[in-house]
Amino acid sequence: MTNYILRRLLLNLLVLWMVASLVFLAVRALPGDFVLTQLATNLEFADNQAAIDKARKDYGLDKPLWRQYASFMGALARLDLGKSLLTQRSTWVELSERVPYTLELGGLIALVAFSVSIPIGILSAVKQDTWIDYTLRGFSVLAVAAPVFFVAVIFTLFVLRYNLWTIDIIGRPHFWTSPAAAAKLFIIPAVAGGLSGGGTIMRLLRSQMLEVLRQDYIRTATAKGMRGRNVILRHALKNAMIPVLTVMGLTISGILSGQIILENMFNIPGVGQFLFASLRQRDFPPFQGTVFIIATVIVTLNLLVDILYGWLDPRIRLS
Amino acid sequence: MAQSPATTLFPNQAEQDRVERSAASRFARGFVRFARRRRLGAIGVTLVLIIVATAVLSPLIQRYDDTQVFEVPNPEFNPTANPLDIARNPKLSTPTIFERYEAPNGAHWLGTDQFARDIFARVIVGARLAVIIGIGASLISVSAGTMIGIVSGYFGGVVDLVVQRFVDALQAFPGLVLLLLIVQVVNEPPLALTVAALGVLGWATSVRIVRSAVLAVKSTPFVEAARSFGASDLRIMVQHVFPNVVAPIIVVFSIGIGAYILAEASLSFLGLGPADKTTWGKMVSAGRVSLDLHPWEALFSGIAITLTVLGFNLAGDALRDELDPRLRGR
Repeated sequence: MTNYILRRLLLNLLVLWMVASLVFLAVRALPGDFVLTQLATNLEFADNQAAIDKARKDYGLDKPLWRQYASFMGALARLDLGKSLLTQRSTWVELSERVPYTLELGGLIALVAFSVSIPIGILSAVKQDTWIDYTLRGFSVLAVAAPVFFVAVIFTLFVLRYNLWTIDIIGRPHFWTSPAAAAKLFIIPAVAGGLSGGGTIMRLLRSQMLEVLRQDYIRTATAKGMRGRNVILRHALKNAMIPVLTVMGLTISGILSGQIILENMFNIPGVGQFLFASLRQRDFPPFQGTVFIIATVIVTLNLLVDILYGWLDPRIRLS
Repeated sequence: MAQSPATTLFPNQAEQDRVERSAASRFARGFVRFARRRRLGAIGVTLVLIIVATAVLSPLIQRYDDTQVFEVPNPEFNPTANPLDIARNPKLSTPTIFERYEAPNGAHWLGTDQFARDIFARVIVGARLAVIIGIGASLISVSAGTMIGIVSGYFGGVVDLVVQRFVDALQAFPGLVLLLLIVQVVNEPPLALTVAALGVLGWATSVRIVRSAVLAVKSTPFVEAARSFGASDLRIMVQHVFPNVVAPIIVVFSIGIGAYILAEASLSFLGLGPADKTTWGKMVSAGRVSLDLHPWEALFSGIAITLTVLGFNLAGDALRDELDPRLRGR
């Protein structure tokens, strides 16, 4: 087991090195650089080549690619994610202001996703091929098919039309500073993201439940006189959730993709909005750093899930 | 001119009609049986047929050009109005009025957008784009994924290790970030680049699934037999491995289409979709400008995306359950 974990950790390092190199090369393949995007708003410098060259030198953008790569890798090895060219602040500082928003929204999305999908997944498996099952399955396929931004648009339209509340997209509220404003801002993206993320979980959970409910131990549990609810919650659900947990890495990365859109729609200054903005401004260091951190989280999560898998399901102990 | 085999087979016209009719009715009966067994799948196939037909026939049904701007004569226009009156009432000076933000009516079935363009025409044109993008991206990802997946699974060893780590690296990106990176390589991404970017995004998944199918086929006796006859690796891969992983390949192809359409809509919504093309994602985004007063554009284009993705997903699921139920939940 220890050997397995060590081997996986080494492979993960290899994967993270690939991610870092890929993103480093990809951003430099993009047209334009930070100096040029900044000049787009300062036209008086646009044809001043000397000024452009000086700015490139100041930002270190004139160095040959391999030197930039070497210093990026060297910094990464020291867990230094570089400074934002725009604000001249460390990427860690920039992230520390944005991660709370992303965790608030992401946590809410996950909460909505699981609290909607688990009951629906169970119910639609237990009532297989009844009208309840058909309705719930219809709901889940719709949730998967509808784009997250369209769901958000519909809810926004509803709130605006019936004047339910004011969505404060300027105040940047946290739940611990102004809970009411935060709730009004976060509820639409949380429900939209949660439904999109939950749709996949619902369908996976339903098919897993159907599989588990056919097992002998379920029949045994029922035969020995256990109450139906206990059979389903204690015996069936626990085992049906294992495959749902194994796609956790995918689920999280899907939620993050949705958050890029939702944070931009609702002007929530989280990591998703930061990623998009720094990419558009060609502010490479924070973009590279943020992608690297996200990849680290996803890869680590996948490893944890695989370890957890062997622990939850002893039949597949990893050798 | 060469005669078609059907005419040679049935010299008698009536006989041929009867056989063809029975072929059609056989198909219809087969579909009814399929529909009874997989109701959601039948809904999906029907939706897909409607959307593909719309995409193919779009020039016939869109009624107007998707970029045509509609104007009507201004009843208040007065060419002889003096500047003082125009200052009081600027409408006097414009000969035409743009038909912006019309609600759905007889002339514009789904209304008009903020630039006075027909929403119905734009939704129909969007269908063509969605079908091209979904099928194109899926073709790219599946054909690239099949080649790499077969090679990686068949040879194993170092090749497999490197390919799998590369796949891991791609899957460690949130999908949208990867898309944003590829699409921005050009300032105004053309349609082909969008399709290619989506293909790269899905490539990792295709490789994964094809590879695991290949691993199962690789250890079968018939592959061993072929090798003992002295067949080359290439021959084994093409003649023996490939035909036995066709089912998962078809499944991956059909199940991916909806996801690619969805991903493209997100890209367009963020303003990075294919340049100069009318896409549904762009329409939802544009419709948000005046959502509370004029929701039609955002609503209709959003419904179009949802129904299209729904159709392709349901059809893909049904196909998977028919061909290869083990892929369920992947």
